Amino acid sequence: MSAIEDKIRIRTKELLESGEVAEFIGWGKGRFENQTSPLFIKDPSRVDELVYNDYCVNTLGKYAYQMKGDGKIALCVRGCDARAINRMLSDKALNREDVYLLGIPCEGMRDRKTNEVLKKCQECRHHNPVVYDELLGEEVEFPLPENRFVEVEAIEQMSTQERADYFDTVFSKCIRCYACRDVCPCCTCNQCFVDQREADWQGKQSNIPENRFFGLTRAFHVGDRCIECGECERVCPMGLPLMSLNRKLIKDMNTLFGEFEAGMGDEGPDVLRTYKLDDVEEFM
Amino acid sequence: MILKKENVQNLLDELSKSALVFVPKEVDGVLKFAPFKSADEMTLDIINTTLPPKDLLFPQTQKMYRYGIDADGKMYVDPSDDSAEQVVFGIRTCDMQSIVCMDDVFLTKGFVDEFYQAKRDKLLTVAIGCNKVAETCFCDSMGLDPQNSPTADIQLLEGDDAYSVVAQTEKGEKALESWKPFLSEGSVEVPKIECALKVDMTGVKDKLDRMFDHPIWEELSAKCLACGTCTYVCPTCHCFDISQENKMKDGVRFRCWDSCMFSEYTQMAGDHNPRPTKKERLRNRFMHKLCFFEDRYGKTLCVGCGRCVEKCPVSVDITCLIDQIGEFDV
Ligand code: SF4
Ligand code: SF4
Ligand code: SF4
Ligand code: SF4
Repeated sequence: MSAIEDKIRIRTKELLESGEVAEFIGWGKGRFENQTSPLFIKDPSRVDELVYNDYCVNTLGKYAYQMKGDGKIALCVRGCDARAINRMLSDKALNREDVYLLGIPCEGMRDRKTNEVLKKCQECRHHNPVVYDELLGEEVEFPLPENRFVEVEAIEQMSTQERADYFDTVFSKCIRCYACRDVCPCCTCNQCFVDQREADWQGKQSNIPENRFFGLTRAFHVGDRCIECGECERVCPMGLPLMSLNRKLIKDMNTLFGEFEAGMGDEGPDVLRTYKLDDVEEFM
Repeated sequence: MILKKENVQNLLDELSKSALVFVPKEVDGVLKFAPFKSADEMTLDIINTTLPPKDLLFPQTQKMYRYGIDADGKMYVDPSDDSAEQVVFGIRTCDMQSIVCMDDVFLTKGFVDEFYQAKRDKLLTVAIGCNKVAETCFCDSMGLDPQNSPTADIQLLEGDDAYSVVAQTEKGEKALESWKPFLSEGSVEVPKIECALKVDMTGVKDKLDRMFDHPIWEELSAKCLACGTCTYVCPTCHCFDISQENKMKDGVRFRCWDSCMFSEYTQMAGDHNPRPTKKERLRNRFMHKLCFFEDRYGKTLCVGCGRCVEKCPVSVDITCLIDQIGEFDV
């Protein structure tokens, strides 16, 4: 780990000093033991503040989007960060020349309190970055996690009434903070449907129907683009099982249109934006 | 007087006969103040709830009135009042102080918010002193004492098998009448505690007065997602929006929590936004907590509960900011 940390600091210093990039995004220390936080650095003399350890829980990819236009930026990319970059490249939310990518093969991050590997990392299918400019370590080998649709299947097994009750409970907990949206590398609309007040898609009341409308619409809007980084579920302060919604869509798309994983390359088109004459049309 | 722990169930059963009793407990995985059912499911020993009790006075969505056209073609307006007698049992010092702050906002300076007041007048506050602190608790740096909530109607302090009971207001004294059958003479040993997390508030407000254009806001907001988490878990954040929903000939006007971290919060007609980026929004949130509220009400709007510190997805940390401000020479 610390070998990677050293390399991050060395390369960041070089990249900033040479003027190749204007800013670097990595992780720095938080206040508490084993806590890290995204860190933005412009001044090469500050690179010693960068850290890399088992607790770098934040996926950084989306920050590249927010900083678009501020000059070329460099950032650390593991499997999830790299797929987030690909996501934004294929959505034309980002240009490849906007970013310089320091690839880091990742062994999974841990919760600083329980020291357990994060759920999103247990479920991760791509520990090595799928796009980078240079790789800071040896690629790691990881077996694919077992069936990632277990939660979805459990919900599918429920009776209609059980399922309705289950989702009522889930959505009764949402406080509509929109952290799930704000952290998501797919959520790059100039104006989210939630904020389109004149169209009034999303009512402002916080109650089960409105929360459900938000939760389902969010899931559908990321639909075929979700890279399964698991950040939405990690950041949800109320612990909503958001990945089961995302994966239900992925599972159905796999069944209907064949296996597909978003974020593996930087070219579209994604499943739901591809039209083929032999597409299933059973509901028409 | 003391309240033996074995009597808590009976006491709360009794109180439930005439009021809605809210206690800290876990509901579907979320720690919050929820209606009392049985003593077993209470989590009085947890350090703090994930959601603050502010919705007892200031619900996330509150209907204000219904309106519409009735069968005779006449317009009607039905004000709505859903206030009822409520008891909050087991509120902590930080959250009690947050009620003091909300009282300032909703009841003073010549403005009385009738919806808030209706609920406030019917709320009995029973505080329990903390015998444990979380790593994120820093209320004693904000001028509070984790084992003393002077504005609570009744203050309990926890000993091994009983709580000491003291009424601190007239309302509390009156309420204690019905507690009598469950109380006995005695005293309890309370371990002294203090918060592990400390910040120094000396000079922070004065410096902030001069820091509106400081580069810290740009720097700190870079990682902020501009979500609503910090404001919605904060016990003192009290901003709301008023909106309505119409169905055919009937409508309802309601207010609901809003967050200064949302872009839409300051969006004006004509599309001007005086806080166009998250830099201005984050600055406003921290300025309001640590500076502006003090100007208006003479106290800080942060009670040191640590919820935002705990829940921010990217670890924006108000205590780190306070430390940083302390080091600035401005
Ligand atoms: S992060 Fe969780 S609580 Fe916040 S809006 Fe999303 S689902 Fe709701
Ligand atoms: S929906 Fe969730 S898992 Fe999918 S890309 Fe967005 S944040 Fe990641
Ligand atoms: S400070 Fe944290 S919780 Fe608050 S808006 Fe920013 S990211 Fe969200
Ligand atoms: S600002 Fe944070 S620590 Fe202060 S009262 Fe609000 S949630 Fe608690």
